Amino acid sequence: MPRAEIVKKVPINDSYFLFRSCVSSSKYPGIETSTEEVFARLGIELEDSPEQSCCGGFITFTSLAEVTASLPAVARNLSIIEESGKNALTVCNGCHMFLTEFGHFMDHNPDITNKVNEMLGMIGREYKGTSHVLHMLEAVAGLKNRIKELITRPLKGLRVATHYGCHYLYGFKHDAVDDPYMPTVLEELIEIAGAENVTYPEARTCCGSGLTQVIIHKEEMSLPFLKRKLDSLKKIEADVLIVVCPYCMTILDRGQFKMEERGIEEYGVPVLYINQLLGLAMGIDPVRLGLEAHITPVKRLLEKLEVSNA
Amino acid sequence: MSRLFDKKLRPELYSDLSELTFRFIGDLEKCMQCGKCVGNCPAASVTQYNSRRIIHSIKLGNVEDVIKSEELWSCFFCSSCYASCPKDINFPFTVAMLRYASLYAGYGWEYVKKLLPYALDYYRTGMTVLQDERNPNITRRRANNSNTSGSMADVREKMGLSRERKVSDRALSEVQFISDVSGMTRILKELPHKEEKAPLTRAELDRMVTVTGPNGKFAGFPEEDDNA
Repeated sequence: MPRAEIVKKVPINDSYFLFRSCVSSSKYPGIETSTEEVFARLGIELEDSPEQSCCGGFITFTSLAEVTASLPAVARNLSIIEESGKNALTVCNGCHMFLTEFGHFMDHNPDITNKVNEMLGMIGREYKGTSHVLHMLEAVAGLKNRIKELITRPLKGLRVATHYGCHYLYGFKHDAVDDPYMPTVLEELIEIAGAENVTYPEARTCCGSGLTQVIIHKEEMSLPFLKRKLDSLKKIEADVLIVVCPYCMTILDRGQFKMEERGIEEYGVPVLYINQLLGLAMGIDPVRLGLEAHITPVKRLLEKLEVSNA
Repeated sequence: MSRLFDKKLRPELYSDLSELTFRFIGDLEKCMQCGKCVGNCPAASVTQYNSRRIIHSIKLGNVEDVIKSEELWSCFFCSSCYASCPKDINFPFTVAMLRYASLYAGYGWEYVKKLLPYALDYYRTGMTVLQDERNPNITRRRANNSNTSGSMADVREKMGLSRERKVSDRALSEVQFISDVSGMTRILKELPHKEEKAPLTRAELDRMVTVTGPNGKFAGFPEEDDNA
């Protein structure tokens, strides 16, 4: 299906359920606050719930327990989304992948859904399959014309590189709002923010984590791969790297520090979430956007934008 | 996820192969060995890992070798092989299933053990990633970068958030309940004591409780359909 058609199908509502991610809440809270700020300016209400836990997908990913342990954990979160009666907005590629994939799986396997609901019934919940789960990027792509009107401080002269993250584009290739190998949604949004797009050879490769390789094979696989990506990024002298996944952000932001700590190489390319960049272009306070949580300094970027980091 | 079971398999092609091998053939039957997956693979670019070769091994009936191999644990789960596959084979899904088979057969536990701290955090708090930094230099660096002490609680407070995100007591008890009844808690308890078992025989492997069927059982050979 052509991309424009997929973007058109994205349900744009007056309110969404904001599905929080462990990584963003614990390491980069700016991902969630920038989302809240941007959507508040768009006049879209975001609701959340303390009942929501980790999406539950990591159990499958790590092979720690069987899929049958992961499925009800994911279904529990889906039932909480359904209770709100809204469609959900995920800020993380991983949450998005598991909520949509497992939701899809249950929708097409009624036997399994019954078993899952038997378990959920014991805690007074039920999965019905009534809510859509959207990735932030889908919603923002669908709202881009409205976002355009809110840009008050265009980021003129800013050189911006992108990293989409595998689990959105690659793992979701049939339904993603963009082509896995030629994505341009982020680039369009960056243009709307008034900045300049730059690209680098390793732009579409993995961040080097793959959720678990950074733990399982850190030295021999994850770091060498990350280094290749960062080397390629450094050459084009980008001012900032834009991501749409908190976990990619963790790896790319902290990975630069790790390389520096080990005396391998200094990179100094700040990593921002797309809504943080849009937030800056809307003139939102950088502290509220959570830029102080970042490990790779954002000072030079803010100086370039002449925003004082209070 | 169910795609693997939807396809019409041709059992007559695999009459010489073990049940174990047959369980993994699925979509792999479509593979034409073009190798696009390897060209895009991050693991292949830094190690000997080769998805095309693994598929070939499985089709030849050497699933045991794959299950025993260290290679199996090299996949990043980035799905770029799936994205580039002209035949739409979801290879990461196969890898996930092979990993379960590997664990059943007693291999690979040393890799899974490394992930235990995150799983325990999940069981304890309902969140897999917590604010505590395992590397104290990170906090120091954050203190240098910002006008805060560097602790995440302070950063969050300055942003106008609670000092820590917590899931509700009800959510936590539900998460733990699901973990208990689905068998995850038992695995977490056993994991530190897991050791490599003696290699299983072919017959034992074939008898192994299968992990590929949707109901936890070997799906069996599908009924023949002449119109397929």
